[in-house]
Amino acid sequence: MKLERSDRAPLWAFMTPALVLMLVFFVLPVIYVIVISFMKWNGINTPAFVNLRNFMLLFRDKAFKRSVINNVIWALVAGFIQVPLAMIMAIILSRKPKGWKFFRTVYFFPQVISGIALATLWRAIYRADTGLLNALLNSVGLGHLAKDWLGTLSTAFPSVLIYWIFYVGYYMVIMMADITTIDDSYYEAATIDGATDFQQAIYITIPLIRKTSLLTCVTLASVMGLRQFEQVYMLTNGGPANSTSTIVLYMYKKLQDANYGMASASAVILIIIGVVFIVCIRKIFEGRNEEAAALKKAGRAAG
Amino acid sequence: MKKLLSLSLVLIMIIALAVPAYAANDEIIINFPSVWVGTDSKAPYMEQLIEAFNAENAGSIKVVVEEQTDYQAARDKLRTTITTGETPDLCIMDTTYDIKGYSEAGKFMDLTPYLDEGWGDDFAEGAFDAWSVDGKVYALPFESAIFTPIYNTKIFAEIGWDHFPATYDEFFQFCEDAKAKGINAVGQMAGENAWTSMLWYSLIVEAIGGKDVYANGLEDPAFVQAADVLKAMYDYTFDGAISAGAGDVNGHWLARDTAIYLNGPWWVANLYKEDNAVDGVLLADDCEVALNPVYEGGKGEGGLVTTVQAFLAAAKQDDPAKEEAVVKFIKYITDPQHVSELALSSGAMFFVKYDPSPETNLISQKLTEVANNADFSILHVNGAFPTAVSTEFPAAVSALVLGEVDAQGFVDQLQLAIDMAA
Amino acid sequence: MSETRVRAPLHGKDLVLAVLRWILIIFFAVYTLFPLIWLFIASLKTNYEFLADSPFSLPAVPQWQNYVNALKVAGLGRMLLNSVIVGVAATVFNVIVASMSGYCMSRFRFNGREQLFTLFTAGILVPLNALMVPYFVIINKLGLYNTYGGMILLYCAIGIPMSTFLIRGLMDSIPMELEEAAYIDGCGFFGRFFHIILPLSRTGIVTAATFEFLTCWNEFVFANLIVSSEKLRTIQVGIRYFTNQFSTDYVSMYAAIMISIIPSIIGYVLFQEQIISGMTSGAVKG
Repeated sequence: MKLERSDRAPLWAFMTPALVLMLVFFVLPVIYVIVISFMKWNGINTPAFVNLRNFMLLFRDKAFKRSVINNVIWALVAGFIQVPLAMIMAIILSRKPKGWKFFRTVYFFPQVISGIALATLWRAIYRADTGLLNALLNSVGLGHLAKDWLGTLSTAFPSVLIYWIFYVGYYMVIMMADITTIDDSYYEAATIDGATDFQQAIYITIPLIRKTSLLTCVTLASVMGLRQFEQVYMLTNGGPANSTSTIVLYMYKKLQDANYGMASASAVILIIIGVVFIVCIRKIFEGRNEEAAALKKAGRAAG
Repeated sequence: MKKLLSLSLVLIMIIALAVPAYAANDEIIINFPSVWVGTDSKAPYMEQLIEAFNAENAGSIKVVVEEQTDYQAARDKLRTTITTGETPDLCIMDTTYDIKGYSEAGKFMDLTPYLDEGWGDDFAEGAFDAWSVDGKVYALPFESAIFTPIYNTKIFAEIGWDHFPATYDEFFQFCEDAKAKGINAVGQMAGENAWTSMLWYSLIVEAIGGKDVYANGLEDPAFVQAADVLKAMYDYTFDGAISAGAGDVNGHWLARDTAIYLNGPWWVANLYKEDNAVDGVLLADDCEVALNPVYEGGKGEGGLVTTVQAFLAAAKQDDPAKEEAVVKFIKYITDPQHVSELALSSGAMFFVKYDPSPETNLISQKLTEVANNADFSILHVNGAFPTAVSTEFPAAVSALVLGEVDAQGFVDQLQLAIDMAA
Repeated sequence: MSETRVRAPLHGKDLVLAVLRWILIIFFAVYTLFPLIWLFIASLKTNYEFLADSPFSLPAVPQWQNYVNALKVAGLGRMLLNSVIVGVAATVFNVIVASMSGYCMSRFRFNGREQLFTLFTAGILVPLNALMVPYFVIINKLGLYNTYGGMILLYCAIGIPMSTFLIRGLMDSIPMELEEAAYIDGCGFFGRFFHIILPLSRTGIVTAATFEFLTCWNEFVFANLIVSSEKLRTIQVGIRYFTNQFSTDYVSMYAAIMISIIPSIIGYVLFQEQIISGMTSGAVKG
């Protein structure tokens, strides 16, 4: 809608609270972070301008490179494995099988349990001596695979990553909500044409949620993957040998060292990577979505 | 249901907006974030002490404790408050803070005039030397700690040993014997802050490099040699040590499946806790204090690893009355009589000179003896180097044990961490 | 939408799909529930049983004492109440502010709109740990240190990018024609917002509100940083208190974790109808 003259004043009145909050809590603090990223500062002395030194140090640090790689893997896995899993479950549950409300509730549980509780739980599962996972392996005769899951270089990062993938409740609920807005007439027509459930999902449901909830979920999941901190901090603190480190954890450790310059520089790099991610995801999803949106609108109008 | 929901919403909003207003009166409030709370061994007596202080000064001074049980969260907060110029009235700090940096930058109250009035005589000779700036004391060394192994004689007997190894060669023989019996000789941890492994590393570094090992940063060859020794110890610890935290080391020790334990003296109280007894036998009854084994060809004999476990530092005050109040409270805490009680109840050691209570437990007495008999002492590795080393230590030690880096690489990794922060 | 859906009868491929479907449904349910049940059983063991016996064994005698130990340590009730107060207030303010800005950025074209939205979206990416120092300064300068107000303001603010992103996304999918019709009927700026856009974007608003509330509920760093009084502490600070206190006493720690989980789950089960019906009745059909 074009902005009418009479709308101008209320528009800015409506924007002001958000703008003020953004300015105070994001724009100014981020400017501060960017400025500090070019400084050497230990929180005590006057900050000293050091040009790109902090960034150079970061790119030379193996631990930082590992953190970036881990984050990218995390974001990709979250966006392109976790969310599709959530989508499958959303499609299944939105057909309302027996007990679907119960399952919907159960799947959402991990979202309401705090990160530290989940981390404690999974530490107990991955424990080398009395852990649940090793005990399960022993009981099915795969005892030779038992190991210190969080203390072995090859398994630590996958272990930290994998347990989270199957917690699909939040994205599932978002997509279920979207699926219920799809008009029934599509499915009715498809059924009459003899389309199976599977075909209906592929040709009706997925195209219709693609631009809306699916895009939202992929973006959310990837961003959460990039910002990953608490899970890793609680489970492994980045160990062993930095193999599970993430950018935010790396940054946090630099804050512990009162190395505010490098901490800020890593924050800046994270923001840049994140922007690249969001832009790419939008590009991937933009494809044929015009027609999908049009289809959906038509369906809604018909309903 | 909807109405109920919106009603409760409105109610909650009203409560939320009615921000509690704290009545201001003439009472001086001393804000004191403390980690000596909860199940900390110093907590019961500290609570008593602060209550007594508040009662004595009712109406004029009130100490308000902010309970912090998460050490790392407490550090994050304290660092942030000091950086932003909002230093709490009284802080507890350890060597992972840049004590000298803060002191030089004038972040703390100068305690020198008060110490010079005679209060300073209560403290051990030379306690302030290493930490004062231009002869002035800003951060008061309060709690000290020594690190020497404690071992479980019952488990030793099971393994067939009647004494603690005197040398590191003998130590590894013992480890082999323990392993043959399926017993963990030591508890190591590379998870969290790798505390126990950092302490063992410090002990080995001391045994090899002796008194002046820190003289040239990480240059001394002792650091590389000690890394190999530390790595070898990981063959004789419980499963999962790489990912283990302090809770795991302590848990295994309390479960009586580890022969040797290494931690600070504040931990002694736990040895005497009924909760940790098995079949009515206190863990302490099976424990004996040992000395850091001698490293053949090393320079460490007779030495001891120590640290300043806690400094007390106060924020600069504009109001002289408040400054008086804060100093009064610090003096109250550091009063030799009170410190004696605090030592008795917790097992912790202090820089304040006090007459030990006759009720002092046996282990604490022996630890004091070890401290008094030492020819020299060095700080633990975390204390001797900038914070970056303690942050990097877990990553470096796990890389070492898992073979990602060799002993030289381990030391290089620590050095790189120092360089990046410098 | 109609309550029952017309379905083709099950045969061949569909049967395989039905079996697969149930395998998936049950896998996810077991994956979520089994660890919780296992932790609950572990929390009733003694430490010796936990360390020495098989992880699948049951406790010889259920140690309810572990729960007593955990409960003794901190005033859990107060902390739960604080979390609810702060979480609800911050969420309400947050979605109000975000719906208003989302409305403007979704329904009107003005100079710099896209740049502004990009700025909001980029806010999602900011690692908030890096902002501890500036946030502490801001809250202090506003005189909101150690107040509910400080926490509410901060939580409301840090959720704005995410909420705006979610709400505007939904508003974008509302057909322009609806609003244009109302405009022609003489419906003004506010009228269109309250009568058309707001009801139609309920799905997005509830999604954002859920996200915001969960963020507040699970936030720890700032809850500890900008509050000092025990009276204002939230449940997350309390949980840390537990886990640190019991780091060697595994079973009591697990009991403490169970105690922290149970109210969240009960709260969710009680309110889920509101949450989910809000999310799913996105009444586009008008």
